[in-house]
Amino acid sequence: MNPGMKLLLVVLIALEISFTQSLIVNVILIAISFVYVMVKRMNFKTLFLLIFWPLFPALGLFVSQWLYGSDGIHFAWVLFTRIYAYVFLGATFTLTSSITDLALTLEQDFRLPSKFAYGVLAAFNLMPKIREEVQIIKTSALMRGEVFHVWSPKLYFKAILSSIQWSQNLAEAMTSHGFVEDEPRTHYRVIRITVLDWAMFAFLIIAVQVMLFFIRY
Amino acid sequence: MTDVSISDFTYQYPKSETKVLNDLNLTFKHNHFSLLSGPSGSGKSTLLYFIAGLYPRFIGNDATGTIKFGDTNIKEIPRNHVSNHVAMMFQNPNQQFAMDTVIHELTFVLENIQTQPDQMDKIIDHALTFCGIEKLRDRIINTLSGGEKQRVALSCIVAMDAPVIVLDEPFASIDPDSRIDLIHKLKELQEKHGKTIILADHDLGNYQGVIDEFYYLDPQTHHIDLLNQAESQHFFDNFESTQTIDKQLALPPKDDKNSVIELRHFKLAPHDSLLLQLDHFNFYRQKTTLITGANGIGKSTLFNALTKLLPYAGMISYDGKNIKKIKPLNYAKNVTLLFQDAENQFLNVTVKEELDLSFSNRFNQDYTHEQVEQMLTQLGMQGRDEQVVYSLSEGQKKKLQIVEMLIMNPPVLLLDEPFKGLDYKSLRLMTDFLELAKTKYGQTQIIISHQLSGLEDLIDYHAHFENQNLTYQEVI
Repeated sequence: MNPGMKLLLVVLIALEISFTQSLIVNVILIAISFVYVMVKRMNFKTLFLLIFWPLFPALGLFVSQWLYGSDGIHFAWVLFTRIYAYVFLGATFTLTSSITDLALTLEQDFRLPSKFAYGVLAAFNLMPKIREEVQIIKTSALMRGEVFHVWSPKLYFKAILSSIQWSQNLAEAMTSHGFVEDEPRTHYRVIRITVLDWAMFAFLIIAVQVMLFFIRY
Repeated sequence: MTDVSISDFTYQYPKSETKVLNDLNLTFKHNHFSLLSGPSGSGKSTLLYFIAGLYPRFIGNDATGTIKFGDTNIKEIPRNHVSNHVAMMFQNPNQQFAMDTVIHELTFVLENIQTQPDQMDKIIDHALTFCGIEKLRDRIINTLSGGEKQRVALSCIVAMDAPVIVLDEPFASIDPDSRIDLIHKLKELQEKHGKTIILADHDLGNYQGVIDEFYYLDPQTHHIDLLNQAESQHFFDNFESTQTIDKQLALPPKDDKNSVIELRHFKLAPHDSLLLQLDHFNFYRQKTTLITGANGIGKSTLFNALTKLLPYAGMISYDGKNIKKIKPLNYAKNVTLLFQDAENQFLNVTVKEELDLSFSNRFNQDYTHEQVEQMLTQLGMQGRDEQVVYSLSEGQKKKLQIVEMLIMNPPVLLLDEPFKGLDYKSLRLMTDFLELAKTKYGQTQIIISHQLSGLEDLIDYHAHFENQNLTYQEVI
């Protein structure tokens, strides 16, 4: 499916389950997403992490609603499954779509300004560098006798200074590679939204509406 | 014909008194290979950024005067046509790509200049073949070495096919083989493809016999002069002579008795390319060891391993203990790095805050406030307490950085190009300060430096980095 459509679909469904309270629909969504990512060959380590990390907020919500909430155990389960529904819906997008394809379709089909599409892509490709930079900042602080934690404001101050520098360099590099915002570009790989994409999108969104309408528990 | 002519060109940074480029009148000739040299920080980059059409857009203020490609004033070229006239290669290999893989970057470039999609494969194949990097086609750019990245940058320029190519210190962080190879590729672009090459470099190695014209940016007058045959020869000879200072040194003792840092079965291979392999190597206590070697060969990477910033194979021990078993803060207090980029060292905003931080966190009380005050005065850094550190000049940043790390006074200090951008007088002061730290406070110093003259009295041992090996030498 076209990555832009997929993202839109995932966001819409996630929004909808935020405002409805159907435990069964949540479970169905988790199950379908789970099958989808498994078919797309996810490795077991990622799967484990996907189940493990949300466990804390999900359990926290469950327990506080169950013990202290006024809406009973059913709503507690809804909250618990909702967290996992978000995670697995998100996974159907992040684990199976390429960020490059997303940028291409956002530019070509969704008419997003190319500056935005490629800016985000470039920033995304800088991620490993940012991780290295944070390591350097932390080490440099240790050498001055300061320990920076994730919550230290100075860590962010330094990281933001570096990012400003980088964004400037990146903008210069993109310009020198011929990129001019709001100017027409040709496309080596044309990404179209096909009839099949539309059909899938419509089918899935209607299916969710129908389920939410009929399955109230 | 695309002469690049620059007339009555003057530029000064906002809020600065000095004109970095002062009334320039010169012409980089069509189909010539022009080298622009001059000390770091003298304004070479600034001129190139203007020629490439990046300034004034990416800088606060404009310059006066004109830059023309042939008869066309650069200001009259619409923004989406600049790339038809000029392409640029940057100093930092890590910050010139927007996309993830080589092939995506090349496609991105061609899409920008509106090449027809059916032409792209042919152009990309040609560009990759020309640069000898067909194999890198589908590689992720982040995983390439500096030399490979600069080859990719050149292939983008070849694909763009602009008549003028400007390069800003493009070889500053790449290995010597890549450097020679790329210089010859540029020569080929000039001779066989009619390109005009303008290259800024303060390192004059490998250019003799390749370049057609030698321009020099004088840091005093801020003028650029075209040198004649004799003058360029003088510069080349002068450069050769700074590569060595002919000083005899002792070799370190063969035993491990006085060693402070020991490397055993050590192997450094980031991104799977082997940089350094040492079975048995020591750095010695209370000595100053100078490490020399070509750019991009892995000297700074070795420092990154010594400070646990990079993974390595084998063992590094400090004071007989495996450094992996020493707690990070404790190790950082003992083995400290003076970063090549001074800004990496700063954690605060003003000069006073920076100095106070060192005073309050230092690991011993060896330096008195009066002593530090005197050091700052000698360096001409007094009375700058309230100045924002990021607004200091490069030389001032370097001075502040060294002083604050001297205050910390760690037992082992690693210094990565500590003298870059310092004038000779400040350099001599710094070597005196370092000498004092060594003899009086027992500091061990390991220095990476291209600058050799002025260091004669400080250096005890010299280790040369070559062929994935580090060996002690008897001469500098």
